[in-house]
Amino acid sequence: MQPILALEGVSKSFAGVKALKDVSFDVRPGEVHALMGENGAGKSTLIKVIAGVHAPDSGEIRVNGELVRFATPREARAAGIATVYQELLLFPELSVAENIYLGHAPRMTMNALDWTKMRDGARRLLDDLDSHDLDVDARVGSLSVANRQRVEIAKALSQDARVLIMDEPTAALSDTDARRLMDVVRRLRDRGVAIVYVSHRMPEIFALATRVTVLRDGAYVGTRDIGDITEADLVSMMVGRPVDQLFPKTDAEIGAPVLELRNIAYRDEVEDISFTIRAGEIVGIAGLIGSGRTELALTIFGITPATSGEILLDGKPVRITDPKQARDLGIAYVPEDRGLQGLIKPQTIRENLSLALLDRISTATIVDRAKESRLARELIQRFGIRARGPEQLVKQLSGGNQQKVVLAKWVATEPRVLIMDEPTRGIDVGAKAEIHALMSRLAGQGLAVLMISSELPEVLGMSDRVLVMNNGRIVAEFDRAEATPDSVGTAMMQSQTLPEVA
Amino acid sequence: MMTASSPAVPRTAPAMRPMKRIAAYGQEFILLGAIVALFVVVSFVNPRFLGANNISNIFAGNAYIAVAAIGMSLVIISGHIDVAVGSLIGVLATISGTLAVNGYPIWLAWLVPVLVGIVVNAGVGALIAYLRIPSIVVTLGMLSILKGGLISVTAGAWITNLPADYLIAQFRLFGIPSPVWFMVILTALVAFWMRYSGFGRTIYAIGGNVEAARVAGIQVERSTVIVFAIHGAFAGIAAVLFATQLQVIQSTVPPNLELTVITASVVGGVSILGGTGTVIGSTLAAILFAAIASSLIFLNVSAYWLRSVQGLLILITVLADMARRRRLR
Amino acid sequence: MTATLRSLLRHETILAILLVLVLAALATQSDRFFTTANLLNQGRLMAEVGLVALVMTFVIVTGGIDLSVGSILGLTAILLGVFWHNLGLPLPVAMVLAIVAAGIGGLINGLIITRFKVPPLIATLATLALYRGLAEGISQARSVRGYPEWFFVLGQGEVLGVPTQLWILGALVVIAAVVLGLTTFGRATYATGANETGARFSGIGVDRTKLLIYTASGLVAGLAGVIFVSRVSTTRSDMGTGLELDVITAVVLGGTSIFGGRGTIIGTVLGLILMQALKNGLALSGVKGDGTIVVIGLVLILAIVASNLFSREGDG
Repeated sequence: MQPILALEGVSKSFAGVKALKDVSFDVRPGEVHALMGENGAGKSTLIKVIAGVHAPDSGEIRVNGELVRFATPREARAAGIATVYQELLLFPELSVAENIYLGHAPRMTMNALDWTKMRDGARRLLDDLDSHDLDVDARVGSLSVANRQRVEIAKALSQDARVLIMDEPTAALSDTDARRLMDVVRRLRDRGVAIVYVSHRMPEIFALATRVTVLRDGAYVGTRDIGDITEADLVSMMVGRPVDQLFPKTDAEIGAPVLELRNIAYRDEVEDISFTIRAGEIVGIAGLIGSGRTELALTIFGITPATSGEILLDGKPVRITDPKQARDLGIAYVPEDRGLQGLIKPQTIRENLSLALLDRISTATIVDRAKESRLARELIQRFGIRARGPEQLVKQLSGGNQQKVVLAKWVATEPRVLIMDEPTRGIDVGAKAEIHALMSRLAGQGLAVLMISSELPEVLGMSDRVLVMNNGRIVAEFDRAEATPDSVGTAMMQSQTLPEVA
Repeated sequence: MMTASSPAVPRTAPAMRPMKRIAAYGQEFILLGAIVALFVVVSFVNPRFLGANNISNIFAGNAYIAVAAIGMSLVIISGHIDVAVGSLIGVLATISGTLAVNGYPIWLAWLVPVLVGIVVNAGVGALIAYLRIPSIVVTLGMLSILKGGLISVTAGAWITNLPADYLIAQFRLFGIPSPVWFMVILTALVAFWMRYSGFGRTIYAIGGNVEAARVAGIQVERSTVIVFAIHGAFAGIAAVLFATQLQVIQSTVPPNLELTVITASVVGGVSILGGTGTVIGSTLAAILFAAIASSLIFLNVSAYWLRSVQGLLILITVLADMARRRRLR
Repeated sequence: MTATLRSLLRHETILAILLVLVLAALATQSDRFFTTANLLNQGRLMAEVGLVALVMTFVIVTGGIDLSVGSILGLTAILLGVFWHNLGLPLPVAMVLAIVAAGIGGLINGLIITRFKVPPLIATLATLALYRGLAEGISQARSVRGYPEWFFVLGQGEVLGVPTQLWILGALVVIAAVVLGLTTFGRATYATGANETGARFSGIGVDRTKLLIYTASGLVAGLAGVIFVSRVSTTRSDMGTGLELDVITAVVLGGTSIFGGRGTIIGTVLGLILMQALKNGLALSGVKGDGTIVVIGLVLILAIVASNLFSREGDG
């Protein structure tokens, strides 16, 4: 069968960095074509090229065999390509029906919107998606994430989408909702819609996809029929090299317990978490997005203070209700979102590096500029930050160097506990290795490191111990020796059979 | 969160529809209730409150505020604000009156302010949309330009000897003063238009989520300019109603007018964060506010307290809006 | 030298050159301009706006705005009269109490903004109406006069040949410049304005910083109110109407970004002097008071347009 959408040799660069290198991809009607790859592999860029958000630098896009060039998302949509993005693009104050039909609503005489037809149409679309319980008059802002997603899908279908791109549609869903969504995907596939499906969840890929294409570092690795490949094959296609070789983990001397959590909970996002981290130890937390990993870090760091449970530092109970307290107690957090949470991008490297320890380089609250500059230069050298100097603006640095600035800023506070959330997300391979080496070195100096990562190889390669989170709880714990892609992966993706829900 | 998506929840029963309607127009019903309650209570204390003169004063005398609040509501729904509207109305009213007393055709004296309002505010909208200047700054600057300009040109002189057939606000149709007709018809028209036209929904979309609006292919900048131009037209109509209310036009800026107009919009349920609200609410709020002002007199409370009431009303409404949003999150 | 520092210096250099040009033009236009008496008098007139503008610089650097300063000034003036005249408190006590009340007004702004997450624009627009309304309601349009002679030293007197309030302004300029430019609090202010989440994740007390700044904004508006009363020898409830416009214009003209994260006290001082020179120059060349408001409005819009074009260039 002829592919409805075909990409041939597509490349795209941003500010000189190649995000896509000569990628080819196609999808046929009635097929679910999975797109896989690590974070930063180029999946999002590829999706945005197809959806008309980015124009490719070179290469061809064909729809039904005809060469097309989308200047705007609107043109792509007119060609029958609809996208359900991870961050749902809806209007919270408008009703479900209106969100579905915004921009192409049915009209009556005098070009007036036909609300009856709009509501009926929305009802039909939602019924088709097996969402009989979703009220077309409800405000979208009041819906759950799963329902908002259905609204997005209905919106895509309302425009007669022949190609539907879904970017990690189940990432934020509970297991029940994810299964319902997969039913919807199957039904659409059977109706002849071509579906491009991006997901990290292996079971979903094997349950839904006909073919799978893997990207790595922006390059096309290969396309396989799902019947011809195993999970292990897919992982090695995605990672591209043996796991051990990549991660320079050195064994550190494991010392006394530093941080201990006892039955920590935050609302229903983090529940009943107990574990201990010792000096020199790297504890990895594996889990899918939405499993409560980041929420746990935010609770330890005092952004969302624990609602129950106990935190002990060096054996003494402490109360942490804001980040300042956490910092003063010697807890550092290298956050998930570098641009938003980690850095003050319009400021200089110097100002960023000193932000968390201003009190220590000031006398009577006056900041000692000489001391500050000295500190900045030291840290730039020690962490190998490639910059023109301490006065360069952070926003001008590459992702990897920005990440080193965040890390340096927190290490400079001389913490006892270092929490790193997605420490290497979206940075190139070289910088990744450097960050990993730094992490090992810090653990060697006696820091207790808690590392959160979506990248299984990173977790397996760097951790002395792996905790697996699922649905806000720790569901499994593995020693370095026991932790294999199989064992950890299974624990991450296992059905969440919680007693309360059943 | 789970309940909304759980299959066990039945489809909304048809019997719930009226309740939902009321919930959807919650602010309007609250305002209507407040207006009725105010009339009942104040007329109980002082029956003269219900005198024909006073009623006419409350509705006809303040209709221009409701008309201006229609345009303001569109601006706020689209996610902006205009603190210069009072000065603009002052300028436009003076232009109108000047034309009327200098022998220009009456229809020109009515039309020109509307056109000038459109042009001026389209310019303001362009500065905001294309140069990305926050609306508060542009309109704060406009406020002083218009206000200062008006007073330095007219020196606050009164325009007198207005021709009788120019005084449109004193016309009556079926015994009801024309400003009331303007207020009711314009409110109904715009309410209908906001609900049934593509552009009306576009305004909500821009105010609700600019990025999503862009991805949906809405031309955000152009739409913003149009919204401001429409707002200018309503300021023009309001100015003509204001100018023709009395036999003279005091060519100054009505004190505190922009705040009164903003209060009407915000209290009428137009969320200050954009994306929600209706003009029916803003018109009801304008009436409520006029009734409060009038009732202070009849309850023997000094009118000097009026502005603090205004401030409190805005504050309470905004805090309630923030609380509502937090609950939904 | 760094890119930011250079660009900041560039803005201030441009402003300084502009200022010199305006002063030179005014000096040639009118021989009454460059007299010591006139300059000192202009300084006297500038003091109230200046005091408020210093703290407004902090407010705008955090990405906020305070529209209620003019109303707080008016409320303070009325309270001063009430405390002294109606309650019979000693004048110094009345002064302190009035300024404390102004600080509470600012604190309320801060609480509405930090606790309830109301956008500063709307929060202070509401309190602009509320505080002015309280001033009108309390005063019932009655003014208070007859203050003792010593009280006028503040607004009409001189110390060492320089108007008293200019000394106060000068002292506060130095304090504000040191706090914003050199202290940890200043760093917290910039970080909050440039990226509030990032600042919070770095252990900066963002809410505390904002609360302090809005309270300080109320306090200086109160101080300006007392000086105002002393300068004009009377209290009226409409005092300070439109003050926010002058203040915001001076701050923005001085190179502070309305989006937060950038700005200096030196810039604000230059912006302030430039604005006062313009006003004075226009008045001397026969333009009436209302005409100068037009110019200020224009200058505000043009200054923002210019700074927006600048910063977009820098971001590229």
